[in-house]
This record gives sequence, structure tokens and C-alpha cells, in this order.
Amino acid sequence: MSTPAAVPPDRIRVTDALVARVAAHTALTVTGVIGLSPDLGHTLAGSVLGPDALRPPPPGASAVVQDGAAEIALSVSTRLGYNCRDLAVEVQRSVAAAVHSYTGLAAVVTVTIAEIALD
Amino acid sequence: MSPDDPAHPIAPLACGRDAATVWDRVAAGLAPDEHERGCPHCAAAIADARGLGGVVYRMAAEPVEPPSSVLDRVMQAVRTEFRQHELLALDSPLGPARLSRPAAAGVLRHVVDRMAGVRARSCRIEQPAGDAVPTGADVSITVAARFGVDLASVTARVRQMVIAAGGQALGVPVRRVDIDVVDLLDDLEPEDGP
Repeated sequence: MSTPAAVPPDRIRVTDALVARVAAHTALTVTGVIGLSPDLGHTLAGSVLGPDALRPPPPGASAVVQDGAAEIALSVSTRLGYNCRDLAVEVQRSVAAAVHSYTGLAAVVTVTIAEIALD
Repeated sequence: MSPDDPAHPIAPLACGRDAATVWDRVAAGLAPDEHERGCPHCAAAIADARGLGGVVYRMAAEPVEPPSSVLDRVMQAVRTEFRQHELLALDSPLGPARLSRPAAAGVLRHVVDRMAGVRARSCRIEQPAGDAVPTGADVSITVAARFGVDLASVTARVRQMVIAAGGQALGVPVRRVDIDVVDLLDDLEPEDGP
């Protein structure tokens, strides 16, 4: 009598694009962030190389999920009047907390303030 | 068959039939059997399978054309990327934080332009290379000053304004400000400052 081969259980994978989307959504809720600014990596990921081609990651946000942790890169715009260092720290704190709360992943967030509106 | 069965970890349809079996029959081109013809769950699975097949075959037959905006977006990003190395490190306990050097210089020029009797012409910000924790930035700024003003007083005000803006607006401590007065301020140049 043969026994059925063991089948691995179903799994749920949190994709890079999902984490990037959560990060972008959260960053835009931080007071002082007025937008996201895409760089080359973000643009390529969203234009031609993204694995989730049907709905690419938002411009200005990218993420790599590996070994139960997420590395997130955000490029944001702000307005003169907000301290850039404090803003960057607040974005890092808020995004890491939101990603962990939503996905359970620990996150390291790299923030680049790419533009400062002077008006 | 149940979700607890290790050989079949995926739950069956509500009628008890395995969705994979239904899909396999569709893929094999078999007509629905008696159960499938009367079962709404199997009918939905059959529709799913046929719908996917239709999409796949249709997409496979379509020529691949990248969106017209791809080239523009990539070229814009490439130009931006050339400036990406122009970043200032921000002191953050939570990971890497950076500030665009051109954006920071724009802020310093802007605050100087708001002062009376002086206008910024160029601004460069440098940080010591290799510092794990950014210790401070050196600013070199060129200005034009109105004829007749006290240059020592004006440059002292510019220096103080740059140091204050670096700390308060940028979060980048400024440890040194070099000022070159390179031009006379044109009388026709409008003044925004007080």
C-alpha cells in the first residue's frame, strides 16, 4: 500500500509590490510629505521590469522582501518649513510600523528627500 | 477530501468536487458531465477556466507594444539618477536617510535671496566623506551684493542665515560657510527681502 506524497501546505507570500504600496500610502500620510519622487530604480521597476506588471509599484517607492524582512526605499518630496532630518525619521518610523503591523515583516526604510518645494 | 488532508491541502468546491479536476476536464476539452451541468459551483469553475483560457490565448496573439511613455519616463529617470549620488546624509537612528544636494542648495539659495541687499548666485554643500554619522556640512556660496552695503555685515548675516537654515530647515548642521562675493547686485533685480 502506498502512502500519498506529502504536499507542502498553502502559503501566503507578501510581494515586494504590496510592501512598496503600503510604504507609499503611509509615507503620504506623514505631515510634510507632499509627494513621491521616482528615481531610476523605481521607474524601471514600474515600467518594464516589475514582476507585478499588471499594477506596478507606485513611483518613488520600492521594496524587496527577503528572509522575513523588508528593505524599503522611498523617495519623497516636501515643502520648505519642514525639517528634512526630522521628516525623514518620521517617515522611517511610520512606514516601518505600518509595514510591520500589516504584514508582520520587520522593515528597514531608506528615505531620500529628493525635492523641496520653495513656494 | 478536506483541507486537513495532507494530500489535498486546498479546500474543494462547496459541492465537494476538486476545482483542479474541473479545470483539468475543461483543459482536456471534455464536455461538462451530469453533475457539472447542474452544479452552480462547478459551472463557475468551468467559466473561470474558460475565461482564463480566452485571456491567455488572446494576449498571446496580441503583439507586444510597450507604452509610448516608457522611453520618456526612463530617460527622465536616467537624468535624475545621474544626480542621485549628489546626496547628503541625514542623521537618523532608524536607517539610511538622505537629502538631495541640489534640493538642499536650493533652500540655502532661497533663504539668502530673501535677504535685503544680497542675492545668491551658486551654492555647494559638502559633507566629509566616510563619516558613519554625519558630523556637519561645509557650505560654499557665491553672492551678489548691492553697491554701498557693508560687505562685512552682509556676509555675517548670510553666514548666520545659512547656518540657521541648515539646522532648522534641512536638519544638516553647518560647520563652515565660505562666502565669495562675486558680483554687484543689479539695480533692476527685484528684492524680496525686507
